Amino acid sequence: MALILFLVSFLTSCLFLPPVMRAMRARGIVGRDVHKKDRPIIPEMGGLAILLGLAVSTLIGLVLFPYITKLLISFFSTMLIAGIVGAIDDLKPLNARVKPFLTTFACLPILLLRTYTPSIIFPLIGSTRLTKVYPLLIPIVMAVTTNAVNMMDPFNGVMAGTSSIITLTLLASAIIFGSQDAIILCCMLLGALLAFFYYNRYPSRVFSGDVGSLSVGAALGAIAIMGRLEVVAVVAFMPQIMNAFYGLSTIGRLYERREVNRPVTVLEDGRLMATSDPKAPLTLARFVLARGPLHEYEAAMIFITLSAISGLLALITAYMMAGTL
Amino acid sequence: MTRRILDFVIILLFVWGCMLFGLWMINDLIVPMSIPGVGRYAVNIVQVVISTTMVLLWLLIWRWLARSMFWRALRNNQNK
Repeated sequence: MALILFLVSFLTSCLFLPPVMRAMRARGIVGRDVHKKDRPIIPEMGGLAILLGLAVSTLIGLVLFPYITKLLISFFSTMLIAGIVGAIDDLKPLNARVKPFLTTFACLPILLLRTYTPSIIFPLIGSTRLTKVYPLLIPIVMAVTTNAVNMMDPFNGVMAGTSSIITLTLLASAIIFGSQDAIILCCMLLGALLAFFYYNRYPSRVFSGDVGSLSVGAALGAIAIMGRLEVVAVVAFMPQIMNAFYGLSTIGRLYERREVNRPVTVLEDGRLMATSDPKAPLTLARFVLARGPLHEYEAAMIFITLSAISGLLALITAYMMAGTL
Repeated sequence: MTRRILDFVIILLFVWGCMLFGLWMINDLIVPMSIPGVGRYAVNIVQVVISTTMVLLWLLIWRWLARSMFWRALRNNQNK
């Protein structure tokens, strides 16, 4: 049954992507692919198709799985709120501090519909009850996951590719824990992400925009919370966390890409090189390129490999967690 | 390619290992801790201070490791 939702979200996202791309191009909602020599113009806000694909699969999910209505509504509303914040940012760029603050509101459906269990399962320790503290952590989780995914979009296909691997890891962990609800949510998200990855992989035909990256981040955060996979998600999110942590620790505050010096430059032959500018943020992209220039597709492949390695560690963590239950 | 991935894996294993070790320490050593003659609330404050110090130390070492690896790799590449 979950496989049906996977197919629905995959096919609907595939169907919606070309008209979304045409509509964005026609309205001038486009961006330059700065990591190519000829800097082509690419339609933005392709993430709308991810949201549309998930909207359709949520509707079908409500029919197929009426016993998890609350969960499905909560999941989609969380994505939708983050998506609205992303859409506003795509159309009228928000301040670097305002955006993370607004994304915390994505937690409202989870809090209002109480689709969370106020306890965290830790590896080696087991389940720990956090009745009062847990609801306070949910807005922080939302701000972290949405913005970590948003910051991890340096090259073609990286956001969709790494997020697909995180979703796959959460799906495998949900199978280990026998969490039917999380399996359904993961299948829905994975379908939409893979469809988007097909169009977003090198050389990109569409960019997700913040509407895509923020809603995917919110969806991953929601799955971690609703599926009780918080610690697995932390480990699977390690490349995103490292990227954000290095960047923030170099700049010393929240920042937007346009506000800081570029960490990566394009060489004459089209390869990408890390800059030696001490004022540029130390992002994961710069870290990967420190050993020498690479083509964009090679750098993107490294990012996806790093995500797969983190996913493996997350699965080991999931086994350790399952052993304590 | 492998060397670049290995750089990341070293940091990843350090961060993951420290996370598990820290969790074990907090659960098995810090939480059951009691100080003879000291009240419960004071012991709780000591527990929070020790745990926070551990986390901050972990973050500092992580940052130092990443920065030193990055600048060393960049220097080596420029000297080639």
